[in-house]
Amino acid sequence: MVLNHDPSQQPMNGNGGNKVPDDSGFDQRILTAPVKSAVDKFQLLPEFLKVRGLVKQHLDSFNFFVKTEIKKIVRANNLIRASRHPHIYLRFLNVKIRKPSIVDESVTDEVTPQTCRLSDQTYAAPICVDVEYTHGSRDDPRLHRRLNVEIGRMPIMLRSCCCVLYGRDEAELAKLGECPLDPGGYFVIKGTEKVILIQEQLSKNRIIIETDKKGNIAASVTSSTEKIKTKTVIVVENEKFWLHLNQFPKKVPLMVVMKAMGMESDQEVTQMVGRDPRYSYLLLASFEECRKCNVYTQEQALEYLDKMVKRSMYSSNSAEKESRAFSVLRDVFLANVPVDGDNFRTKCIYVAVMMRRIMDAILNKDAMDDKDYVGNKRLELSGQLVSLLFEDLFKSMTTEVKNLTDKMLDKPDKAKNFDISTLLNRTQNIITLGLERTLSTGNFEIKRFRMERKGMTQVLQRLSFIGAMGHMTRVSPQFEKSRKVSGPRALQPSQWGMLCPCDTPEGEACGLVKNLALMTHVTTDEEEAPLISMCYSLGVEDLELLSAEELHTPDSFLVILNGLILGKHRKPLRFANAIRKLRRVGKIGEFVSVFVHNKQHCVYLASDGGRVCRPLVIADKGVSRIKEHHMKELMDGVRTFDDFLRDGLLEYLDVNEENNTLIALYEGDATPETTHIEIEPFTILGVIAGLIPYPHHNQSPRNTYQCAMGKQAMGNIAFNQLRRNDSLLYLLVYPQRPLLTTKTIELVGYDKLGAGQNATVAVMSYSGYDIEDAIVMNKASLDRGFGRCIVMKKYSAVIQKHSNDTSDRILRPNRAADTAGRMRVLDDDGIAAPGEILKPFDIYINKQSPIDTRTPKASAANLPDSAYRSNAQSFKGHGGEVVDRVVLCSDKDKNMCIKFLIRHTRRPELGDKFSSRHGQKGVCGTIVPQEDFPFSEKGICPDLIMNPHGFPSRMTVGKMIELLGGKAGVSCGRFHYGSAFGERSGHADKVEAISETLVSKGFSYSGKDFIYSGITGCPLQAYIFMGPIYYQKLKHMVLDKMHARGSGPRVMLTRQPTEGRARNGGLRVGEMERDCLIAYGASMLIYERLMLSSDPFEVQVCTACGLLGYYNHKLKTGICSYCKNGDKISTMKLPYACKLMIQELQSMNIVPRLKLADA
Amino acid sequence: MEGASYARMPRVKIRELKDDYAKFELRDTDASIANALRRVMIAEVPTIAIDLVEIEVNSSVLNDEFIAHRLGLIPLTSERAMSMRFSRDCDACDGDGQCEFCSVEFHLRVKCMTDQTLDVSSKDLYSSDPSVVPVDFSDPASSDSSESRGVIIVKLRRGQELRLRAIARKGIGKDHAKWSPAATVTFMYEPEIHINEDLMETLTLEEKREWVDSSPTRVFEIDPVTQQVMVVDAEAYSYDDEVLKKAEAMGKPGLVEIIARQDSFIFTVESTGAIKTSQLVLNAIEILKQKLDAVRLSEDTVEADDQFGELGAHMRGG
Repeated sequence: MVLNHDPSQQPMNGNGGNKVPDDSGFDQRILTAPVKSAVDKFQLLPEFLKVRGLVKQHLDSFNFFVKTEIKKIVRANNLIRASRHPHIYLRFLNVKIRKPSIVDESVTDEVTPQTCRLSDQTYAAPICVDVEYTHGSRDDPRLHRRLNVEIGRMPIMLRSCCCVLYGRDEAELAKLGECPLDPGGYFVIKGTEKVILIQEQLSKNRIIIETDKKGNIAASVTSSTEKIKTKTVIVVENEKFWLHLNQFPKKVPLMVVMKAMGMESDQEVTQMVGRDPRYSYLLLASFEECRKCNVYTQEQALEYLDKMVKRSMYSSNSAEKESRAFSVLRDVFLANVPVDGDNFRTKCIYVAVMMRRIMDAILNKDAMDDKDYVGNKRLELSGQLVSLLFEDLFKSMTTEVKNLTDKMLDKPDKAKNFDISTLLNRTQNIITLGLERTLSTGNFEIKRFRMERKGMTQVLQRLSFIGAMGHMTRVSPQFEKSRKVSGPRALQPSQWGMLCPCDTPEGEACGLVKNLALMTHVTTDEEEAPLISMCYSLGVEDLELLSAEELHTPDSFLVILNGLILGKHRKPLRFANAIRKLRRVGKIGEFVSVFVHNKQHCVYLASDGGRVCRPLVIADKGVSRIKEHHMKELMDGVRTFDDFLRDGLLEYLDVNEENNTLIALYEGDATPETTHIEIEPFTILGVIAGLIPYPHHNQSPRNTYQCAMGKQAMGNIAFNQLRRNDSLLYLLVYPQRPLLTTKTIELVGYDKLGAGQNATVAVMSYSGYDIEDAIVMNKASLDRGFGRCIVMKKYSAVIQKHSNDTSDRILRPNRAADTAGRMRVLDDDGIAAPGEILKPFDIYINKQSPIDTRTPKASAANLPDSAYRSNAQSFKGHGGEVVDRVVLCSDKDKNMCIKFLIRHTRRPELGDKFSSRHGQKGVCGTIVPQEDFPFSEKGICPDLIMNPHGFPSRMTVGKMIELLGGKAGVSCGRFHYGSAFGERSGHADKVEAISETLVSKGFSYSGKDFIYSGITGCPLQAYIFMGPIYYQKLKHMVLDKMHARGSGPRVMLTRQPTEGRARNGGLRVGEMERDCLIAYGASMLIYERLMLSSDPFEVQVCTACGLLGYYNHKLKTGICSYCKNGDKISTMKLPYACKLMIQELQSMNIVPRLKLADA
Repeated sequence: MEGASYARMPRVKIRELKDDYAKFELRDTDASIANALRRVMIAEVPTIAIDLVEIEVNSSVLNDEFIAHRLGLIPLTSERAMSMRFSRDCDACDGDGQCEFCSVEFHLRVKCMTDQTLDVSSKDLYSSDPSVVPVDFSDPASSDSSESRGVIIVKLRRGQELRLRAIARKGIGKDHAKWSPAATVTFMYEPEIHINEDLMETLTLEEKREWVDSSPTRVFEIDPVTQQVMVVDAEAYSYDDEVLKKAEAMGKPGLVEIIARQDSFIFTVESTGAIKTSQLVLNAIEILKQKLDAVRLSEDTVEADDQFGELGAHMRGG
């Protein structure tokens, strides 16, 4: 749907340029315009990211909460009044969040996030309020004011406006121990970094037409106001309109509801819906249904509905005042539509519009709404979620204060000199603990809305820098993952540029979990009132002034703001353009969207939060408003991204408004109908997919695989990586920047914190150890540091204080004792010394615990040595690990906590997993010495050899181009680019150009080389495709996985070997393996595997009764306790699990008997 | 023993010889000998490299193993290596660095006292043996006195310190690449290019130029005077077949004939600096000879004699 701009429209500001008088017969602007030379708008991107940042959505929403939302919440609940003494009260005047700090024994210190991470604390700031309250005796209180009373502590999002990192430059960040490339946007709760995932939801307060389970067409509205969240469904069943509402146990005829709202005349209803006879025909049955119920007037309708309303617990006290149905209709039914007194007209119109949409859908199936359409979705961000939580906690705090007040006032002695503000100190924990608990567990529980959601927060993935980035842009789905529908999982055309088409997990969450694209912005709520009044002054006719008949005149459009019908407008295009103009000059918010829906005859305005939108260049009749000089000003630093917005060169469009535009990919493609031009096509991808060079040449699933693997690649995590205390950290020893980069890589800083190495790859088969994607590696390359990695693991020990005041202690190691060998690494303080090399079973802390930790002791401090037993912790590893650091700190219970960081440097070995950036993973198949490796006459010898069978079926042409580009890059000394769709705009080097470079450097244009075998010295029969490809080492390493066992631990209950590597378990011969052995007839092997190597057990079986007996050691015979003798006892072997089952069956009154035959 | 016909007399012609670079022709032998020489140069010529590091103080940003690995890769001058013992074979000691026959001790003591970053380089390594020192990479030609820089080991900020003792031992590239004296050893078959002059003359100058340019490397050239195509640098030809394909595409197959000579090799040897390339080649030949001797003298060979008769004798160079 293309909407032409009003021809008379001129750019609002001078910068639009090219003003040409319109009186000439043809469009001079096109003719006189200089030959289009595409302006390189790429520079806008770094500028955008500088202003907005990669996780700006999170920061914006949290800032919005801290600056605006929290004040609103407090203002809405600002009064606490004693219920029996109403003159005693407390009023909140103002609320603010101060600088983050920690309180340690009543000393408050400012903190940095890094200290919180290291010392397992919460990075939180006090929430302070100014209060006005009564003070003094119950009967004669005086009014007081106190400023900055703390009511709790709010966890602070890093890099938000409350954070100490806000606005700091690189040097200052480094001083605070923070990585400048870290985007922030997460919380530090008890030392762990927590991200609140972006939640995807269906839009609130919008009419959605869908089919329900029975195939009936229904219109549903999920209303959400500050007070209440309800869902209203109008459904057509048996050709009649019905209303579903939770307050009515059964469905209710809609016409009765209309009557109850004062629409007694059927004619008026018909008029409201529209006078099309087809509509009237569809309404007929519903009118009759109403008549059948004998409802003609409002009173009758209310009476009828009263009977239908669900009886609730407190029905008695509200019933007397007004009809319960009346209050349900007012407060619950379509709660988002405000009712002025008892004037239900707005609601009636709303219902009429819903009915009209349903009837449209009945007459024309196209009018159904698509739930998966991105425009119908809202993204809920951390700020909104924290705000919900805070509101709930704040309310429970005020009720708690109120309850305490009432209690205190009832006690005469306390009421004498009663200071209500002191109660605030006592209830601080409600907010502090509530926020902390919710953020650390991720279980949101908001009683008011009956919201209970699990897994809302996650520990930030710090396996790789890019993994952390990707985690912050992740969007988690609204549905549970088990649903077997394809709709929500499919790629939506409307997600273009908003959500990354590549980055989604494989498996059950495929297509449900999404990631934001590079330029996506998520809006925050905006004030509606000024918009409403502006709409009226722009010629929107108020509903109140319109008769039912006038509502749907054919040439007028309804104007709907955030789901609320404002009125109608006769010239929708002019109205929309006016709003757009105002937005472009900055008179209204930049994120307000206008969308003219021609089919529905509606103009939708939206200013609500959670819409996804993205910036686009505005074009007038296909001519970009951004000219060369603008970009030059940007380069010179005179112009910022916001200036572009303010000058009306760029604007943000949300998904709905995009429907009114015609967007050209490049300036050259623009036609006179074009309204907007993309900034850069590669912004369609997200952060992680942006790392792939030439992704547009790859088969699509390969890019998706790479998105999953990029997060597992080892590399550098952050600039402060060696000062962090992560429980598991994988680092690469020599990470490199990819030879073939993309613009996204530079924008996100992957070139500074890379996760891979440029390996010279020869695509050929070699040695047969390269089948099934295995890789042959050059031993000399490994010797020189290729793929070398550091694994850091955290071990901790707590010096526990026990209930009887005794406590654990650390002992200086006794160097003479026989355990001295295992104590080798200990320092004199009994703790392992940094730099020591560990062997398996070395003791790293010589801890002792008191034997008795319960009974109180007189001299708890100096117990004799005999009262302690050794509780030394010994190291279980591979050997060769080194103690990197030892950190002493106190944990939350004020116990001393000792953390050991153990470092292990590993070189690649057989079976370690590697992958290129094109979803081509493989394990190391064999390691071959350099002299056996093939070489070219230039002396080039590959680092690894990849089997060519990896290419035909995977179709990763991008990898081949990466190899070519990389080869050209190393030979000419320039980093080549491979940004997505970048060939046209010069952000990706073309293969022709690369080939030319190769030829000029003496290589074949095809990237193939003439190669000699290293084993024989003879030339190989084929030319070998060889060059550098960026390879990632993935975190899956053989050392962490390999496992075998001879004999070992067993499970207590069944006496069978334990399961799993962590418990040194056995390898199971499962049913299928057993089946094979049975089929083969290897009976002795089955016997040995399933019984002798598992749980053999000798039992005494009574051949008389068939029950199990026991062995009497004194008499040296078996005895049957049922037959009371040992006459017919046989001894046999049985799996213990079988004996267990027999006994368990016996305990259930089932008697299994064994019948023995001679073998 | 009439197998003398198997014996050949290979010839070597040295084209270019520098301390760290050599180019020579090896003629009248076959690929197996050339490749054996190449393989020995890479993997079996011994050098000296740091093998054991004892760290006393390390407050630098890099961890101990990291620094140890970097130290190992520093090339040390290894003229002595051939005459040294492997520390595992050394009877006189247990290879702890005190023994003059098998190990050399190094010390490194650096502390940064200024606000500037201090580069710790191989120049800061002090050797107990003046003949085994880190390779000096400064160009002797440019004799300007500005500090010749070694291999950077780590960079220090103010207050950071690195103090360690390192023991260098003899080893071969087969065990670890740090002992490999060769940065690059490669050879190519010498190409023999015959231009079919008659056919060439049928081409116009334009076509000739086009044909000459079709080679990614500069092998042919057009004589500005006679306008004849001539071979300027046959060895620049990288067996890419481009000119052949081009000739075919121009409808003139057989325009040029290129044969790879099976008995003639052009070697390029680059050294890490541990040994001079001349010495590297000589050592390689020496080791190759030793290996052949080992084969000849081993009991397996005597056994093989019984089985293979004369053939065994040839293997021993008879």
